[in-house]
Amino acid sequence: MSVSAEGAEQVGASTVGLRVDGLSKAFGGTRALHDASFAVERGQIHALVGGNGSGKSTLIKILAGVCRPDAGEVEVNGRRVAAAEVTPEWAHGAGLGFVHQDLGLFEDLTVAENLFSGLPYPRRGGRIDWAALYGAADRVLDELDVGVQASRTVADLRASTRTLIAVARALRGREDLHAGALILDEPTARLATAEVERLLEALRGYAARGQSIVYVSHRLDEVLAFASEVTVLRDGEVAARRSAASLTPRELARLVAGREVAAAPPARRAAAEEDGARPAVLEVRGLDCGVVAGCDLDVRAGEVVGLAGLVGAGRSTLLRALFGAERRERGTVRVGGRALRRGDTADAVGAGVGFVPEDRAGQGAFLELGVRENLLASQLPAYRRLWLRRGREDDATAAAIRDFGVRCPGPEAELSRLSGGNQQKIVIARWLTAGTRLLLLDEPTQGVDVGARADIYALIRAAAERGMAVLVASADADELLELCDRVVVLERGRIGAQATAGELSHEWLLSNVYGESLAEERNA
Amino acid sequence: MSTDAVVDAPSRTRSRRRAVGPIVERFGLVWALLALIAFFSLWPTTSDSFLTTDNLRTLFANEAVVAIAALGALLPFVAGQFDLTIGAIAMLSSMIVAAIVTETGVPLVAAVPIAVVACAGVGLISGSVVAYLRAPAIVISLGMATLIGGVVLLYSGSRSIIGMPAALTDFGSLTWLGVPRPVWLLLVVVLVVGFVIRYTVTGRSLLMIGSNAEAARLVGVRTRRLILLSFVLAGLFYGVAGVLLLARTGAATPGDGLGLTVGALTAVFLGATTIKPGRFNVPGTIVGVFFVAVSINGLTLAGAADWVDPVFTGAAVVVAVAASTMLAQRRSG
Repeated sequence: MSVSAEGAEQVGASTVGLRVDGLSKAFGGTRALHDASFAVERGQIHALVGGNGSGKSTLIKILAGVCRPDAGEVEVNGRRVAAAEVTPEWAHGAGLGFVHQDLGLFEDLTVAENLFSGLPYPRRGGRIDWAALYGAADRVLDELDVGVQASRTVADLRASTRTLIAVARALRGREDLHAGALILDEPTARLATAEVERLLEALRGYAARGQSIVYVSHRLDEVLAFASEVTVLRDGEVAARRSAASLTPRELARLVAGREVAAAPPARRAAAEEDGARPAVLEVRGLDCGVVAGCDLDVRAGEVVGLAGLVGAGRSTLLRALFGAERRERGTVRVGGRALRRGDTADAVGAGVGFVPEDRAGQGAFLELGVRENLLASQLPAYRRLWLRRGREDDATAAAIRDFGVRCPGPEAELSRLSGGNQQKIVIARWLTAGTRLLLLDEPTQGVDVGARADIYALIRAAAERGMAVLVASADADELLELCDRVVVLERGRIGAQATAGELSHEWLLSNVYGESLAEERNA
Repeated sequence: MSTDAVVDAPSRTRSRRRAVGPIVERFGLVWALLALIAFFSLWPTTSDSFLTTDNLRTLFANEAVVAIAALGALLPFVAGQFDLTIGAIAMLSSMIVAAIVTETGVPLVAAVPIAVVACAGVGLISGSVVAYLRAPAIVISLGMATLIGGVVLLYSGSRSIIGMPAALTDFGSLTWLGVPRPVWLLLVVVLVVGFVIRYTVTGRSLLMIGSNAEAARLVGVRTRRLILLSFVLAGLFYGVAGVLLLARTGAATPGDGLGLTVGALTAVFLGATTIKPGRFNVPGTIVGVFFVAVSINGLTLAGAADWVDPVFTGAAVVVAVAASTMLAQRRSG
């Protein structure tokens, strides 16, 4: 408590929007949260950061009333209760609004239908009074400056607008923004930089009007630029409470990890002549697939190539088309000289291509299977001598757990029991075997904490050192700068600017990735 | 030796204590089955009829049919495909064998493989539609089951075919080493299906498809081919169950086989509440078969009326599906 006292005591307790005191929760023998306390002033933007498994999710679940804590108290607008008594109804009544990472919007419904989902729609003569519904929705959107019509279908809207609609739904009934608190769990994880800025701008506006905001994020730069106070959780305890102004990103990273975060391994930055001598592992000619059009691309052995571009530029589509997850319409893809059949993932795997999809839970992981089944999913035939040799599988799994620094109870442990970062390590490690010549990664560190992120970068670099060709799609400029020998920008499905390590910088990425959209905004 | 044991002891007890909840969950159905057996052995009304060699042999021999069908169904089920053709294909198999041996000169040893292959062929049809046209398995298999029942009816004119050769009925009724022959056949099927699921790339791939079909495709599993294969193998085992049914009853009776379908499904879902809770598994399925069978057998011996069987089985399906769904959610949540 003493850490934050100086800041908190100047203003009276009545100005506190949300306070949690001594929250503790254990699952079986594991301490998820221990004596966690923090307070958010009214109108303050308070960041909650921490690695995977640090207790952030548990804390949010307790506030939402979906997880019953062992001890602690919660106070919202001066209403104080034992945290164990918080129910979803209480949380809503007290004015706590939540926006989760997957926004929980109904994509095919209109903005108004989404805003009022779960509430009785206005009725007239027993029928839904659509005019009244859209009128009410337009008033809410207007009040919150969302800048969208209530009759639009959510699926047609840009990502930041969709997030703002989820925010508006969470603020429903208290658009005056004076009471309660808004709790946002990684709202920017799926947004491109320009979209992030737009969302944060709107949130800043709400805070200025008096709304307390709890903001959970892995993007530390963004946290420091956006929040005024930062609470760091580590291993279920509050490790630090600081004002954002007093921290540098590096200090914050150290607080989150609880140790010095290894600076990115010095990228190879090899001379161009040396690269020229290496054989091209991936050769793409004239590839058409959905938004991707006329794509030519080579990736050499040992080279890490980044794919940058705005949301919708076709980064994911290109990777999926290369792997055969999507059927390309035209063009050839050769890996190690061998032409890949289109739309045939098994053929790609056979040629030594690995793919780590963006959506881990939906497309990458077998959550209810064990670590072993997940790790060896793509290499089963190697463990078959007439039948699958469980002993060899277990040896290989134990070795991978050790080599890749995975924290898990053992090879049998169900993947869903691991933290997000450790799950992602397993999903990537699946391909880090001798047989893989080309690794395709789509947002490899999304939703992964700082410590695990550094580990994953090290794994990818090490694989490249051994001669693997790597193609990484990422919306995260830091990630591309840290990881890649060369970055290729996709613009509306076409290959645009390219830069090698020496020429790469934040500025280069900014002007080449966002240049076009910035120009558009200026014209608009 | 003794030192090792002492050093090892504390950690082992600790892990055991922590695992008490899961153990109750894991073996709940097994305990329930043992309790049922104890109850019917001691209850005065059934005590002199339940625990007799004759009763147990009949029980085991009859349930071998259900168990083989259920184990066949397990293959599409672990891949997340609900197959309802179980009983219909078994009936078809009975009919084919009976028709061949009574109406042609083809010997039994040829008739059985013909029937079983035909059943695998039916699995090939429903499997192709499900896998390649991506139609929902539950609807396709329901349609196929109805269609097969109709075709059997058309052929047989709703008359039973009787007059099976002794070689066949002997297999259904005699014992080997004191154990009914159908049970030996069941043992073989248990080993085969257990091996396929646990020790083959095919089985592991089916588990992967059942867990996350898209993720399976993205690690290079040929998901459609494997789903098709699971239906073919399942059809084959339903065919074997059908031949065994004919061997037990000595007559092929046309029908839609709905009773066998429900019995096998009950066992599969009950099986998912035990041994590996939340997952379809081989030992659980066997426990499930005998849990239902012992209950109904005991109640029947106690003089329960005809309606008890469907009421009990129906209730067991509902409870088993609800429980296994709940367990699966708890595991993932």
